[in-house]
Amino acid sequence: MTTDDNELLSALVDGELQGLELDRAIALLSTNADARERLQRYQLTSDVFRGYGIGHEQADLAQKIMMALMGEPRHSPLPDKPVEKAKVISLPVRFWQHSLGLAVAASFGALAVVGVMDDPEAQFVPMVPMAVLNMAPVLAPVRPLAIAPHTMVAVAKIVPSTSNRGNRWTVEEQEIEDRLNVYLVDHNEYAGVSDIFSNARVVAYESGQ
Amino acid sequence: MSVLATNSYAEDPEAIALLKRMGAAAKKLNYDGVFTYQTGSKVQSIRIIHQANKKGEVERLLSLNGAARELIRTNNIVTCTFPEGKRINVDRRPLGRGFPSDLLSRLSSAVPYYDVSFGKQGRVADRSAKKLVVTPVDHYRYGYHLWVDEKTDLLLQSNLLTDKGRVLERFIFSSINLDADIPQSALEPQTSGQALTWSRNQTEPVYNVKSKQAAAEQPQVWNVTWLPEGFTLVAEQSRRKSENGTLVEQRVYSDGLSSVSIFFEKRNLNYHHLEGGSAMGAVNAFGTIADTHFVTVVGQVPARTVEKVGRSISLAKH
Repeated sequence: MTTDDNELLSALVDGELQGLELDRAIALLSTNADARERLQRYQLTSDVFRGYGIGHEQADLAQKIMMALMGEPRHSPLPDKPVEKAKVISLPVRFWQHSLGLAVAASFGALAVVGVMDDPEAQFVPMVPMAVLNMAPVLAPVRPLAIAPHTMVAVAKIVPSTSNRGNRWTVEEQEIEDRLNVYLVDHNEYAGVSDIFSNARVVAYESGQ
Repeated sequence: MSVLATNSYAEDPEAIALLKRMGAAAKKLNYDGVFTYQTGSKVQSIRIIHQANKKGEVERLLSLNGAARELIRTNNIVTCTFPEGKRINVDRRPLGRGFPSDLLSRLSSAVPYYDVSFGKQGRVADRSAKKLVVTPVDHYRYGYHLWVDEKTDLLLQSNLLTDKGRVLERFIFSSINLDADIPQSALEPQTSGQALTWSRNQTEPVYNVKSKQAAAEQPQVWNVTWLPEGFTLVAEQSRRKSENGTLVEQRVYSDGLSSVSIFFEKRNLNYHHLEGGSAMGAVNAFGTIADTHFVTVVGQVPARTVEKVGRSISLAKH
């Protein structure tokens, strides 16, 4: 293990890797037992810092931002007709690129409004100002309202929940989340070519409550 | 003949054959390994122990970092225990038509909708692996890069790709012991501090147009007017949720390789439902409320697919 490798693993846990660096980290983990052990230690440390296992809901802002930056939108085409979108959280990269400089003042419990220009991929997109992220509790239901071509307005309210992460349903209520989890396990029977791994999503599911 | 069918890719018969063997190997082999699941910025190490014998399959998964979550799958039950006390337990492989999954036998029907070819030879978990490249013909399905063990045909790595070629999810074995002698104790739950609850929901007759018994309780007949080309109904089941007896109908539509499930659940006015889309890893869901039912489409397919399917569902007129 070189210093460079350690930094690579640390960055992986922090969610800072993409592209070739990410491939390099995965390759390292695939071939090096020391690296795997070290990754687990880093992950454990990270979990402790984030309050997992000790009942806290603390979350580091930088990590939140990184998670948000990694959480690219999964919708690209425009729907067939305009519709009210879901109670979901998704923080697309382009949003941050567009709106980091547009932080709109928002206080805890208040409504926050911000505009984002012409992002065809912003479908389920809540547009969330930095000021909102800055408050440890996370964002939840957002209802985009189209008010003019190429302009979207989102109204976000803040609730004590967890933010959008890769392996947790982004929904507003526990009841809905539980229902989706039951459906997920039922559907796993037909997960397709990689079904050997399909239940990993359940095991990796973030409790985060 | 459809446009897609006429423009379908030419398949590599050997690659298709390997894909079939890969699916079979996952079910018939004994193995004990550790793999990494990565989606977005999240990385999770998971141990998987799988045993196959005359009675069927038993599988245990245990998360190795963070909370020690555990999942045990037997022939008909899946139980997941979180140390925090959170539990998901559902029956599995119920008696409905098409369960357990028979997708392997349907793989040939996927041929018109994917290009399946060999990629560059690779190495995963210190084992030589053949790479399969699975490319969908449209943007309603995901593509895959698969690394398959050269000796046993077991899937060692799976990269799930968006239509733009971005890796959305990655599963990769870091170590694996194949043909392992797996002791019974390795397949038993080891989560401490919380009592495991095992439940098995009752399976109900499948509801359809012809079922008078079903019609008496659930006269609704659903129309699904849009599906990706090649998707057909391959499985359906109805069962009651153990916690409140609510009837849930599941229909599975597949092209032989990708699938979506549509769930119809009697609406409970005390609860809300997903209205729109949500995602968890590469699995997308789209929910709506139709008449007296919660309707939810779930699948390891792009969000646009579950949304378009979901918006095409309506009650049939009597």
